[in-house]
Amino acid sequence: MIPTGPNLSERYSAALAHYLADPDEDVLNQAYELGRKALGDGLGVLDIAMVHHGALQAAICDESRAEMMPAPAIAKAAEFFAESMSPFEMSFRGLILANDRLLQSQATAEAANRELEAFSYSVAHDLRAPLRGIDGFSQALLEDYADKIDEEGRRHLNFLRESAQRMGRLIDDLLGLSRVARAELCRLPVDLSVLARNVAAQLGNAEPDRQVEIVIGDGIGAEGDAPLLRIALENLLGNAWKFTSKRTAARIEVGTMSVDGDTVYFVRDNGAGFDPAYEAKLFGVFQRLHSTREFEGTGIGLATVKRIVSRHNGRIWATSEVDRGATFYFTLGDGTPRP
Amino acid sequence: MNEKIILLVEDNPSDEALTLRALSKNNIGNTVVVKRDGAEALDYLLAPRSDPHRACALPQLILLDLNLPKVDGLEVLRRIRADARTRLLPVVILTSSREDTDMVRGYGFGANGYVCKPVDFVQFAEAVRQIGLYWLIINERPPTV
Repeated sequence: MIPTGPNLSERYSAALAHYLADPDEDVLNQAYELGRKALGDGLGVLDIAMVHHGALQAAICDESRAEMMPAPAIAKAAEFFAESMSPFEMSFRGLILANDRLLQSQATAEAANRELEAFSYSVAHDLRAPLRGIDGFSQALLEDYADKIDEEGRRHLNFLRESAQRMGRLIDDLLGLSRVARAELCRLPVDLSVLARNVAAQLGNAEPDRQVEIVIGDGIGAEGDAPLLRIALENLLGNAWKFTSKRTAARIEVGTMSVDGDTVYFVRDNGAGFDPAYEAKLFGVFQRLHSTREFEGTGIGLATVKRIVSRHNGRIWATSEVDRGATFYFTLGDGTPRP
Repeated sequence: MNEKIILLVEDNPSDEALTLRALSKNNIGNTVVVKRDGAEALDYLLAPRSDPHRACALPQLILLDLNLPKVDGLEVLRRIRADARTRLLPVVILTSSREDTDMVRGYGFGANGYVCKPVDFVQFAEAVRQIGLYWLIINERPPTV
């Protein structure tokens, strides 16, 4: 309990004594005001009860009011006390209401999340199946009717297959993006060097003919969600790998530096780069700064990385010049996860 | 009686045709029994001996889709595992879903494998080839109980 100042006790005693002598509405209002002030000062119900107890004893023992019967005096005093309590009562009610509202909005959010999950599920299952049909039967036509379809027809069928497969990748990437937003964030110490080396090995295995010098600093530590950070690195290194595909001496570097005491992680390449005028568009969904003809992509990768970084309370930005490579920087914020 | 039957549980006719095509493209000539919803599949596997829907011999391999009419794939799997006669049957989930929850529940109910059907038919055919090779030839089926 916070000690009640003499001010409150004295004012309360005086007001109560006044009310016992003259039970007037205006005096009763003083009880309300005193209660409100006590609440504002951070006092609790028990503090006021103590103040009231002291004031009541003083009032009843007061010789000058000896003619008053104790019983009605106590009833009047109780009235006064109740009035001083009413600000507390109202504030409790407000708390309960606020709590109810919070629970309600939590329930709404949970329902929305469940709906989103059901939606992603049906996207995953029901949208992919028809695409498989389009791709599979185009391929069946190419195989079984090769002698009946001319060159132009075969070209069209191949376009059909490419489109179906591209839409398949789009669906996969969009699902990945929504999964990143929904996934529970679990912050633990992570060795980004190890993660990055795994991702680099994966890229090398997929295209063993490419010569890329990948330099990854040792012991790059972070506090973060390992599966999500892996997805971020897959996208950043995947981009670096892709955009250096036309370089003879491709080079990718993963490292860290300190800026104003914050650890900044970076992925640098000497690839195609981008026009810095469009930096703001870089991290938006479906934003692509290169044509599909030049570099294949769905335009969802960097949006996914940005979401992962912001879920870690971090920041992401990039610098580049056309044809002179690009560097992507990110921070991972402190350990307090976002709601 | 030694024929190695494959039970394909698949409701989508185009996926059914593509799976059959992928099997035959890869020279997997086993008899394929197709059931188009979960209830049909359960009748085939678990109906009483007198029931005409019931299989004469249990399949060597079950390829199970998850999103099925009437009884869904996970429930089919649960009932297969709950019955002494079928509890050891190799079941590979073959689905479009790559959701973690489906994988966790699939393995949790005792699936032997979980394969996400690729959109690209060439990849799909390759997946079917490897599944067939592994489960019909390399893998030893459990002794019938």
